[in-house]
Amino acid sequence: MTDLRFYGDRPPGIDGQSLPGRLIVLEGTDGVGRSTQVALLKEWLERKGYAVIDTGLTRSSLAGSGIQRAKRGHTLDPITLNLFYATDMWDRLERQILPALRAGMVALVDRYIFSMIARAGVRGLSPEWLQGLYEFALIPDRTIYLDIDVEHLLPRVIHDTGFDYWESGRDFLETGSVYQSFVEYQNRLLAEFRRLADRHDFTVIDARGDVGATFEAVSREVEQVISSMVSDAMPPEPTNR
Amino acid sequence: MSERAKNELPGRLFIVEGIDGSGKSTQLDLLHKWLQAQGYLVVFSEWNSSPIVKRTTKRGKKEKLLTPISFSLIHAADFAHRIHSHILPALEAGAIVLADRYVYTAFARDAVRGVSRSWLRRLYSFVVEPTVAFYFDVPLHEAVHRIAAGRPTLKFYEAGLDLGLSDDPFESFRMFQGRIRGEYERLCEEFGLTRIDATQNIVRQQMQVREMVQPHLDGVMRLDRVKMREALGRAGLSGRYLDPRRVSEE
Repeated sequence: MTDLRFYGDRPPGIDGQSLPGRLIVLEGTDGVGRSTQVALLKEWLERKGYAVIDTGLTRSSLAGSGIQRAKRGHTLDPITLNLFYATDMWDRLERQILPALRAGMVALVDRYIFSMIARAGVRGLSPEWLQGLYEFALIPDRTIYLDIDVEHLLPRVIHDTGFDYWESGRDFLETGSVYQSFVEYQNRLLAEFRRLADRHDFTVIDARGDVGATFEAVSREVEQVISSMVSDAMPPEPTNR
Repeated sequence: MSERAKNELPGRLFIVEGIDGSGKSTQLDLLHKWLQAQGYLVVFSEWNSSPIVKRTTKRGKKEKLLTPISFSLIHAADFAHRIHSHILPALEAGAIVLADRYVYTAFARDAVRGVSRSWLRRLYSFVVEPTVAFYFDVPLHEAVHRIAAGRPTLKFYEAGLDLGLSDDPFESFRMFQGRIRGEYERLCEEFGLTRIDATQNIVRQQMQVREMVQPHLDGVMRLDRVKMREALGRAGLSGRYLDPRRVSEE
């Protein structure tokens, strides 16, 4: 059972004490391989017979396209952008994640509130304000953090996507080349993630190795979270015949 | 709430609040014209008008996607964007900003929808405190009468139909506005809003508003405009290609 516990006051319109599903969050910086792990996990879980939904940032029907549009202009201040992200997060929580958990599914979330808190924290927003903002979020059953250092991250980013404007902190770092600002930004971001990992009890997995090694470690963690689901759902053993 | 407006920013911020049908927009419009006529630089900001966020809010309302928390967050996003891109820069430049609805609208509506009051106060800690915040106080039956007389139908969220108080839009609207009015009472206490009796006639209310605004206008920037006609005359021009409003506004 997933306890219906939130970081702050319970939001209006949410009833019940617990849910039969499981909420599993993957966190980590861009390029670390989060989405790959989510894709692998989904297949792995389905093969075992679990029903799975996966969701990630800006995939809400309400605010997803609005955020994409707003980011294109590079004009949003960090407070507005975070309120936009929070709208998107809550909409997905309410419409995708909670219904899935109610139905007994495993919800795999590719970046939860922590990515937003880390990115905004690096951009100078008050940590108290950010924690307060995301108080509406459901506390996950497990948050798996894929940890990496910039040295190992660089080749992946160059190979996969190249340097992204936002993921290099170009919106607020004024110094140096794109490469320099990427290194600076990612170092700050990783430090922020590690602070959050301590505070929120993340399961930290070393993601410097290859995909297979990381998946082995990730799936071992997920196994622990889902192992009780089958017995939860089983009817009690008949005592006599 | 930050104290910036009063202490650091050279501009002035006047805002109006009240339930639908309280007549606050009419009063703000009259104040706007009076200030402009005296040459003050006036910037006007309306609730729900950020060009970047508005589309999302509109869609959410049209498709009834908004629930209490998302309703609250998307309005906060709209407000934050206007504060940063519109209101704050104008205040920093020394202009007068007039806002039709301010943070108190969110406090009142969202609390009625069951959102935690303390969460809302913290969420909106980025706002600038107004120089004067007017609350137009009108009895519920009067406000409902004004709205019902002028409108054949009410929108879903406007009528508070998402709260499930009643299936009849006008009955739901009446109950919803009644609860909002209760929240405003609480906010008047908490934030010291300036109460205007909105059952008085329009002119009388406007006189009271101007009386309250006047003392805050000392030292506020005014446009020092050479009169357009004078300038045209000196240059021997007629200004036939000018926007006619530019000529007549002097």
